[in-house]
Amino acid sequence: MRFRKSLYAIVALTVACSLLTVGLTEWRDSGDEEGPHARGYLERIPVVPAYCIASALGVILLGWNWLGLAEVITSIAGITTDDKTDDLCRSKRLFALPTVSKANELHVALAERMDELTTRTGEYAKQVKDLQLQIQLSQKRTQNTEAIIYSIRDAVIVVDEFDKLLMANEAAGRLFNFDFRQSQHKHLDDLIGTDKTEFADFLSRSKQSKGQATRQEIEFTDGNERKTFDCIVSCVYDHNKKLCRAVAVLHDITREKEISQLKNDFVGHVSHELKTPLASITAYSEMLADGEAADEETRKEFYSVIQNQAKRLNRLIEDILNTSRIESGLIKISKEPISLAILVEEQLQMIKSYAEEKNIKVTRQKPIVFDQVNVDRDMISQVIVNLLSNAVKYTPSGGSVRIETEVDDVESLVRLSVVDTGVGIPEDEIDHVFDKFYRVGANKKQAKGTGLGLNLVKQIVEKLHDGRVFVESQVGVGSTFGFEMPLATGQAAPTV
Amino acid sequence: MADKTVLVVDDEIHIVHIVAIKLRNNGYEVISADNGAEALELALREKPDIVVTDYQMPVMTGLELVEKLRQHEETKDIPVIMLTARSFAIEQEQQEALQISGCLSKPFSPRELLGDVEDILYQKQLIGDD
Repeated sequence: MRFRKSLYAIVALTVACSLLTVGLTEWRDSGDEEGPHARGYLERIPVVPAYCIASALGVILLGWNWLGLAEVITSIAGITTDDKTDDLCRSKRLFALPTVSKANELHVALAERMDELTTRTGEYAKQVKDLQLQIQLSQKRTQNTEAIIYSIRDAVIVVDEFDKLLMANEAAGRLFNFDFRQSQHKHLDDLIGTDKTEFADFLSRSKQSKGQATRQEIEFTDGNERKTFDCIVSCVYDHNKKLCRAVAVLHDITREKEISQLKNDFVGHVSHELKTPLASITAYSEMLADGEAADEETRKEFYSVIQNQAKRLNRLIEDILNTSRIESGLIKISKEPISLAILVEEQLQMIKSYAEEKNIKVTRQKPIVFDQVNVDRDMISQVIVNLLSNAVKYTPSGGSVRIETEVDDVESLVRLSVVDTGVGIPEDEIDHVFDKFYRVGANKKQAKGTGLGLNLVKQIVEKLHDGRVFVESQVGVGSTFGFEMPLATGQAAPTV
Repeated sequence: MADKTVLVVDDEIHIVHIVAIKLRNNGYEVISADNGAEALELALREKPDIVVTDYQMPVMTGLELVEKLRQHEETKDIPVIMLTARSFAIEQEQQEALQISGCLSKPFSPRELLGDVEDILYQKQLIGDD
């Protein structure tokens, strides 16, 4: 307002000065033809007051109507800044005569407008505050979601419709070998290696499916290991039902697959192992029933085979049951002090015919004076026979098996070793030979087995007798399997 | 069916023994092996009329043995009976592809085995006569 008043005052003063200047110029020039003398000037003196009066009147009139003029100027200014909503109103404002009442109306309108603006400003401020809260809440939720995804052990990858990475967790970064925090918006093809294109292909196919989550088992090479992943891809669609992102979760099922394979192998092997003696029993008894045994000697031979095969079947069933009982902690054992040498001698007799059949020489060192241990006789007998039969089984014809026992007085331990000249075990498999159902890959064709024998040895020695099993082996040279356990305290047991 | 030669292959010595007695008692000549590799060598040398083999054996399985037999001109037409103790049977397609004449699941009856051997050799003879 103050600016406007100053503007109007300047305009009025300029007009007055201009008129005064014109008047004075006229007064001076009008006397030129009469020459610049004093009389001429004096004659023109009445012109001066006339100009001055006119100027003054002009200034007074302008001053009287300065507010009207102000309104006109304001109206003109209003044309350029107003909402331009109504041309008619604008014209009225332009040509309306400025009055004091209009100025008041303007003032009131301005005040109302100010109130309205103040109210709106308050509303906007509230809305801004609400939005800020929502943004904070949203950020918190995003952080929580990210924290959950990052903490998942499975690999999680989220891509947009163009296969550009939106989110990935550490497990995914490890699996695909990229920095998951620095890889946002990079194309998936640039992030995953060429050996993992099967995943990219599956992701593309899943995005085309437009249905429920898709699932596929995918194998990757992780270092030197071949791993299997259960890969599930779920697609996310926007409100226009257009695909906007795809979420892939990769769960490592390598171990489950291995266990499943071991179980299948076990079922196959156990089935074979159980059915083989059963087949002999069935066949020999049928032959006896059919009178196919020509003489008494043949009949006796048939009965003997049936008896031995029934024992074999029983041993196998016992092996399976004992493994299960030890694992579940239900087995009952009866420990007594006994010489390990006696047990070795007993089991050696049992394995003798099998070794002779394979032309393998079995020897043992001289019995030592005191090698008494506090053990369950049947259990440790089973350990010894398992170690001996394994040694004979995996030793080629003409080879040898040697049994050694030694006493460590310092540690108060007795150690039994079965040394063979067999096929040996590859270095990368040696740590697994005591695992349940595990069979050395290279030796599977060498002989049949269930993968239970050595696991049972380990469980009986370590779980039931506080001992320790050990193995040393060299492919093509042979293996040494054995165990050590604490010496029994007390009287010496009888030696063989 | 006298004078016919049967090759019996099993790593279980008792099974080979009892099958051999049954077949010999019925006029067959029996040769035997305890693994697939040895059996292949024997088959190529002796050219038996029929092979009775176990499925699961060390060194070379029964299926591998049949595959090898089918690759040699002199043994490709020898009929084979498979003895299997596995909990799952051999796939029908695989059986047909390898021309396995019959499968017997362990425990088996020597009487039934003899019957199968006779049937297969009889059919083979009929085809030969035609």
